[in-house]
Amino acid sequence: MNTTQKRNNSEGAALAWTGRVFLALGGIAMLAPFFFMFVFATHTRADIFSVPPPLFFSDHFFENIQILMAKIPFWRNLGLSLYVGIMATGLTLLFCSMAGFAFVAYEFRFKKALFALVMATMLVPAFLGMIPTFMIMDGLGWINQPRALYLPAAAPAMGIFLMRQYISSAIPKDLYEAARMDGCSEWSVYWRVVVPLLGPAFGTLGLITFIASWNNFMGPLVVMRTPEMYTFPLALRSVQSPVDTEWGALMAGSAVAVIPLLIIFVFSSRRLIEGLTAGAVRG
Amino acid sequence: MAPYWLLSPFLLLFLVFGLFPIGFSFFLMFQAWDPVQGLSSMTYVGLENIAFAIEDPLVWLSLKNTLWLAIVSGLPQHLVAIPMAYFINEFLGKWRNAAMGAYFLPYITSTVAIAIMFSSLFSTDYGVVNVVLTHMSEWPLVGWLFPGANVDWLGQAETIKPVVAMVVFWRYVGFNVILYVAAMQGIPRDLYEAGRMDGASNLRLFWHITLPQLKPMMYFGTVLSVVGGLQLFEEPFILTGGRGGLEYSGMTTAMYMYRTAFEFNDFGLASAISWFLFIIIALLTWLTNRAFKDRTGAA
Amino acid sequence: MKALSKSFQRASYMSKRLVALSIALAAISAQAADVTVTVAAFPAVDEIVKAAALKWEQKNPGVKVKVISRAYADHHTAMTTSLATSSDLPDVMAIEYGYLGRFAQSGGLVNLSTLDARLDQQLKSLVPYAVAQGTFEGFGQVAIPTDIGPGALFYRKDLLDACGASEKDLISSWDGYLKTGDCIKAKTGAALMPHARDIKDIVIRAGVKAGEGVYFDANGKSVVGTAPRFQQAFELAKQVRERGLDAKINAWSNEWGEAFKRGTVASQMMGAWLGGHLANWLAPDTAGKWRSANLPNQAYASWGGTFYAVPQKAENKKEAWALIQYLTQDVAQQQAALEKFNAFPALVQAQEGASFNAPIAFLGGQSARAQWRESALKIVPTKVFKHDAVAEEILNAELDQVLLRGKSVAEALKDADRMITRRARR
Repeated sequence: MNTTQKRNNSEGAALAWTGRVFLALGGIAMLAPFFFMFVFATHTRADIFSVPPPLFFSDHFFENIQILMAKIPFWRNLGLSLYVGIMATGLTLLFCSMAGFAFVAYEFRFKKALFALVMATMLVPAFLGMIPTFMIMDGLGWINQPRALYLPAAAPAMGIFLMRQYISSAIPKDLYEAARMDGCSEWSVYWRVVVPLLGPAFGTLGLITFIASWNNFMGPLVVMRTPEMYTFPLALRSVQSPVDTEWGALMAGSAVAVIPLLIIFVFSSRRLIEGLTAGAVRG
Repeated sequence: MAPYWLLSPFLLLFLVFGLFPIGFSFFLMFQAWDPVQGLSSMTYVGLENIAFAIEDPLVWLSLKNTLWLAIVSGLPQHLVAIPMAYFINEFLGKWRNAAMGAYFLPYITSTVAIAIMFSSLFSTDYGVVNVVLTHMSEWPLVGWLFPGANVDWLGQAETIKPVVAMVVFWRYVGFNVILYVAAMQGIPRDLYEAGRMDGASNLRLFWHITLPQLKPMMYFGTVLSVVGGLQLFEEPFILTGGRGGLEYSGMTTAMYMYRTAFEFNDFGLASAISWFLFIIIALLTWLTNRAFKDRTGAA
Repeated sequence: MKALSKSFQRASYMSKRLVALSIALAAISAQAADVTVTVAAFPAVDEIVKAAALKWEQKNPGVKVKVISRAYADHHTAMTTSLATSSDLPDVMAIEYGYLGRFAQSGGLVNLSTLDARLDQQLKSLVPYAVAQGTFEGFGQVAIPTDIGPGALFYRKDLLDACGASEKDLISSWDGYLKTGDCIKAKTGAALMPHARDIKDIVIRAGVKAGEGVYFDANGKSVVGTAPRFQQAFELAKQVRERGLDAKINAWSNEWGEAFKRGTVASQMMGAWLGGHLANWLAPDTAGKWRSANLPNQAYASWGGTFYAVPQKAENKKEAWALIQYLTQDVAQQQAALEKFNAFPALVQAQEGASFNAPIAFLGGQSARAQWRESALKIVPTKVFKHDAVAEEILNAELDQVLLRGKSVAEALKDADRMITRRARR
């Protein structure tokens, strides 16, 4: 080992340890609010607002959940959030990959203008659309039905942006050109050649879509009109009174709401990394 | 060869649920409309809403707030995420996934939980943040850095903005860390090996190899941050209780728009403000595009 | 002939059977087709309605009640959306006072006198000022009050005693109130009130003539720059801040609750329902130390209040009205709401009786409800304007400038007047 390499090694070690310390501190900062959320979920309302606030777990978690279950159709709302999330994710993956493929692999009139239009809509804040969306849902007779939530969610501009980037960078043109020349139908080209290679992109977009759908409360507020049809975040909000909220129950509910997302993240994180890698680096 | 059937599901949904509401809000900009009076009560007022919006001091104040928040919360997200991603990628080995999970957690949380957690943490007399800070002000050596008395984080105009920026940063830095780790994993290792052979230090490796390779991901991440930052609504809304805080220092344009529509019941003005904001977002996105264009070519 | 009459007989026998059958079927289907009255509300009104619904359904077989509850702000947003598109409206809409002005003048609510010719009789049984709040020129009586929030001053007797001051000293005049506050601060360190804004809110509501609004005169013109009560309010608030008599705490925050627990705030002016909250969860351990008094300087004001209305597009208007009558006219029902949910009855008859007049332990055995009942009768109803929300917002912002940045009161009011006039023109 020459001196330069020796120097690099010890420098490397110092750097490694500094890095680990910062990461640990950062990790604590990231996790601390969560820790408190889970701690508060196990306390009664009176405890949460005392001084100093509770720092360790107590034993009121199930009590809190019971308070919550008495106020809202807990399992139904949770189930509905799950159903809407899965449908939204599935449809988004399908429709965005189809459309993304179309943008990459074909030429057609107004292609550029159309894509620019779709991108432009990402820039417009959403809630002015609340009332026109309500009008449309009402006209279609979709008020109070889950499809009013997952169908509009199935065409996000961000989704098509991601798919287009990924397909154009990670899937070699010759692959589907060859399939076409072999006489495959267009659907086969899409389904048999392109889709199997979309794993990482599906992982990424799927995760983002599911999270957005799960946490969304404005959409359900507009179209869901009876408590049985609320999604979980909306149901949690409905127990917030200006004067009399059961904070412990609310925190317990929020804690429960985070868990499915965590599970999904754990399962899809590897695909997510691959998806982002291929799409971005060669893009 | 018609790719139209590939496009049509997306296009149909987009036209009905994406474009129509936007078109409607564009149309609303030229109307005076109090929503509770029903659709038929709309009256055409031409450019009056736009003129009013341009003269409204709160519109300009909210724009200033929005820009400040977008920059102060957005820039650190990337400046911090890149080195962190580097550490996670290079030095953590099997702990990598756990670290990324920890950093991603804030992104997953719902706003209800965030509202309560942070209001409680930043509470003046009873929040953990103040308790820790005042304790630390009693340490030797570094004590002078910390405030000796409780800081009224959410009650003072000067401190609301930093608190909101901090919460936004907390929420999204993990997302960016993941983006960058992903990008770094795609950098061929031989580049680094070659660099080490030549005797380059870690810092030089980072500067000359890692960073240039990250440009595409930086472009993607920056666009998201610009658009997201200028549309900031949820975090300031919940931290200021929906009112914008003292002297409106925490009120972003999106929040002002929401209040104009649903609290002051003036949809025409709210539309005008939103299109005003749209122009600004479009402008800044275009600038971001230009800044990155020559380097990626894939804009 | 005989054959004809025979076939006629057979026919009439058949038709009689058919008629009997169809009557039977109609009766069965009428029973099977339950009418469902939908009620849209927010916590805790939703609980009140749910509790009442059981009894009412028993009294009215064939009618069911369905309560749709949302968070307070979400509920009013959803109602705004529904009114905007005249679609998906409930049969009974609960409206909080703050939103009443906007919703009532939308034209989307039914004039209740069209549903019941004897409405006037029934209105006489309710507290007058609240009834007036539900009446609007050109629209009639569109909303009926169910609970009210007569203003009271809740104060800590023990802190007052430390000063040797009496309740009279506290409430006889604003001057006296502030002076007593100085003394309390000197002797116990406690602030007089949570925020200087509280005193502004009361003073601007005092002296408003019937038919005028708080911020606007009968013609809708802003009076913020001209009516003396605004200047007085701002001056008093400024005094409070300068003398250190407020704790700079916002209502409903953690600090606010904690201040009550610890006794660092000596008084709070708010609706009478605050008493129940203090006792139940805000500061239960301070039981016995609080008292309720009328607002200082013979001011009478109300905080909030819940109303019921029936949208024009409701499907079951008759049943909706029947339910509203039960909720607002039934004494047992109103008193139950008071006991369980702190909803002070708008029904005058419910404001009597042994349990109503019983001493309240939390308030040291004071029969406070009688006091609140009396003060409710002295409240002058103010006219509600569409732009009240904006005006309040602008005025609060200007007050902040005065309190924090030392802006002069005159300039602040001038600016507020200018901005309110500008917004009100729309």
